[in-house]
Amino acid sequence: MIGLVLKDMLVMRKTIRTYAMFLAFYLVMTLLKLFTISFTTAILQLIVMLLPMSAFSFDEMAKWDRYALTFPLGRRALVTGRYLFALIMTVCAGLCGLVSCVLVSIFDNQDMILENMMTVMVCLSLGLLYADILLPLCYKLGPERARPYFYLVIFAPIVLLFGAYQLGVFGAGSLSFLSSVPDPMVVKLSFFLPIIPLLGMWASYLISCRIMEQKEF
Amino acid sequence: MTNAIEIRGLCKSYGDFALQNINLTLPGGSIMGLIGENGAGKTTTIKCILNLIHRDAGQITLLGQDNITGERLAKADIGVVLDECYFHDTLRPRDIDRILSRVFPSWDSALFDTYLDKFQLPERKFIKEFSRGMKMKLSLAAALAHQPKLLILDEATAGLDPVVRDEILDEFLAFIRDEDHAILISSHITSDLEKAADYITYLHQGRVVLSEAKDVILDSYGRLACTAKQLEAVDPADLVKVRKGAFGCEGLVRDRSAFQRKYRDLLVEKTTLEDIMLFMGKGEEAV
Repeated sequence: MIGLVLKDMLVMRKTIRTYAMFLAFYLVMTLLKLFTISFTTAILQLIVMLLPMSAFSFDEMAKWDRYALTFPLGRRALVTGRYLFALIMTVCAGLCGLVSCVLVSIFDNQDMILENMMTVMVCLSLGLLYADILLPLCYKLGPERARPYFYLVIFAPIVLLFGAYQLGVFGAGSLSFLSSVPDPMVVKLSFFLPIIPLLGMWASYLISCRIMEQKEF
Repeated sequence: MTNAIEIRGLCKSYGDFALQNINLTLPGGSIMGLIGENGAGKTTTIKCILNLIHRDAGQITLLGQDNITGERLAKADIGVVLDECYFHDTLRPRDIDRILSRVFPSWDSALFDTYLDKFQLPERKFIKEFSRGMKMKLSLAAALAHQPKLLILDEATAGLDPVVRDEILDEFLAFIRDEDHAILISSHITSDLEKAADYITYLHQGRVVLSEAKDVILDSYGRLACTAKQLEAVDPADLVKVRKGAFGCEGLVRDRSAFQRKYRDLLVEKTTLEDIMLFMGKGEEAV
């Protein structure tokens, strides 16, 4: 299984390197106050979310799964490897976000480190949630057919929220809390937020295993 | 000695095509060639053996282990080369070593390096830059480097030039020197199997129509060349299949010696696996 995670990393080392350069660029832009830390952490998670999907595409191109099933690992190990890869990448993005927060606080002397960290934790939770939804879809439909769902899952909530706001569903000023300083209790609670999608990942993993068990190669 | 592969009553249906009651035994220390036309069921059989598809009925034992309940145990001792190279283009042989050393408990990096040297494969070159021959040699090196007892090859030599094929065949013969080792190889290139195989199993439209020691097949089967009038005089029961052309007729004979004794004025030649395939695939029933 470790071999399968390593395979994903080696296959995508070029992509990971390119993304790392993008992230360094965004971080510099953030330190120069051209981007906000919230924007950078969100971009970070969005980019990382693409990696497992790319891993599926690379595997499909090489017909890797058919070959990997000749290994003494079993179908479940293939799924475990992919979830582990997605988890490692998402957590790495979260850690990069946290480091960015600390750096921005040091260089910018801002007193918003906790709020920025809350943003990172929310982004991390969303990243994990997307993985929970998209990995079984990739197993069921394949990466190409799952791609529209990827965009749907990311952009539908934004479009719906924006549309509802424009239509006045929330009422005047009801979203003003988004720009206000959050309650310290909410900030603290946000640190536990990733536990929810992590639990969801277990359910998602079981669904993917079931799909994989029924597949023919 | 344990049989390397035992298949009993294997059935798998796709609606328009079905494997029907496949029985096959590959003894240890031998090479079995699986032949048959395209769509005859060779790859489906291999997929069932490797549990890549779910069979409808039957039982498959690999190296004494059930291929489903003892799948992981059995696969630890099986090397597989499929019809193409399934390694990603962005990997290098060095990466394959790093990956597979964490997959196979018995992976031998030194042995893998030996094969890379032997096959003249550059370890730091990306696979996308490899020729088809190099890719297949890399697949074979990967299949052999974990010291398997059973090699399963599905059209592994297809599309390769005779020199590379010969190199690979030599490797198979070296592998089989150990009496615990066995090879199942599906191929269209019957000349390769005539060189290397001990047993031949011929699949036709999802059924095993012939499964026998290669020497027995080549010694007993014969090809009758005659005129249409001579063919009419032959008892249809003495012919497996016939082919009628503008310039004469041909018949496939199961027991060449017996046929020759019965029909002394007819000429029966030795046959090849390719002839047998052509008769079985394209021939008509003798009437």
